Amino acid sequence: MASAELRQIRRRIRSVESTMKITRAMELIATARIGKARQRVVESKPYIAKMNDVIRNIAAASGSLSHPLFEAREVETVGVVVVTSDRGLAGGYNGSVIRLAEHALVEHRAAGRAIRLYVVGKKALTYFRYRKYQIEHSWLGVTDTPTYADGRGIANILLNEYMDGNVDVMEVYTTRYVSALTQTPERWPLLPIEPPEGSGDDTGPVGYTFEPSPEEILDRLLPRYLEGTTFGILLEASASEHAARRRAMKAATENAEELTRILTREANQARQAEITTEISEIVGGAEALARG
Amino acid sequence: MAKTFRVDIVTPEAVIWSGDAEMVSARTTEGDIGILADHEPTMAALATGAVHITHADGTISAGIHGGFLQIFRNTVTLLTDRAEIVEGDLDEARRLAAELRQAAEGESD
Repeated sequence: MASAELRQIRRRIRSVESTMKITRAMELIATARIGKARQRVVESKPYIAKMNDVIRNIAAASGSLSHPLFEAREVETVGVVVVTSDRGLAGGYNGSVIRLAEHALVEHRAAGRAIRLYVVGKKALTYFRYRKYQIEHSWLGVTDTPTYADGRGIANILLNEYMDGNVDVMEVYTTRYVSALTQTPERWPLLPIEPPEGSGDDTGPVGYTFEPSPEEILDRLLPRYLEGTTFGILLEASASEHAARRRAMKAATENAEELTRILTREANQARQAEITTEISEIVGGAEALARG
Repeated sequence: MAKTFRVDIVTPEAVIWSGDAEMVSARTTEGDIGILADHEPTMAALATGAVHITHADGTISAGIHGGFLQIFRNTVTLLTDRAEIVEGDLDEARRLAAELRQAAEGESD
């Protein structure tokens, strides 16, 4: 009969193994989705790049860029947007971006600036709500597979807040997808829009024909630009989330494997010890009988 | 064969069409525009409507939901948040554009 110790070890092995099945499945799912998410990031780049071109060309053609969305105001209120995931089990993914954002919040407070907080993802919502922060707006269910409509919805609300003067500057705290192994949380200034670097096409100012006027084109273009940028931010955050989850689940699976190996060894030792005890008991008993 | 120029239709999701064309017609906010090779540099705001591209092997039409058009050095770039390609048929593209417009109006309600 198996001893209590052996039974307990076997029960733990079974439990670790079933956890391992879950983490391995999650790892595989994340791996499958990361490729798709990364591809979407890559495919979204030309749009923003072309928009930057257009803005640069307008700047080159009209000499200067003047638009309310380009103008920095004196900062009394800061809009802070935090982008996290809805689900956990992604290692330090949510923790690092939340830490970065909260650090900024504390700094803004210390500098006497008022704050308006916007959150994307359930993790940020729960975190900041628990800490009694006032949250102006929250978006859930967008970071897993963001659509352009999600980006547009968020951008429009943020833009309205800025245009209404509720905030003087809007900054986004999000995670940038650097590579499969590296995702860095970072601050992304969203509003006012920073005019793209560099001059227009290399030939210098060209005689563009504008239909309608450059101002009107900028008027129409900038909100779209903001939507595109926001969409890009969501896509990168989503790719980062899947990459972080894959890494976390891979580590968990490896830990479980290691643990199973150790536990199996312990179980074998316990079994061996039991057999040894039984044999010595039998031998001892037989000797006692023979002597008697 | 007519002289060709490069055309890209770019949406936030992807570059949905890219190739050489002989002629492009599109609807801007100011009116319809027809583009041939060596067009002067132009920047225009697109209205929701159909875009028609004639290339060496036939024609392509796309329903486009607003956006921008840039012509520079024989490259035409159409930037739009939504576009759908239809092979060949302009009427089909017009119908699609109307659908896109309706969908957009439905969303903003």
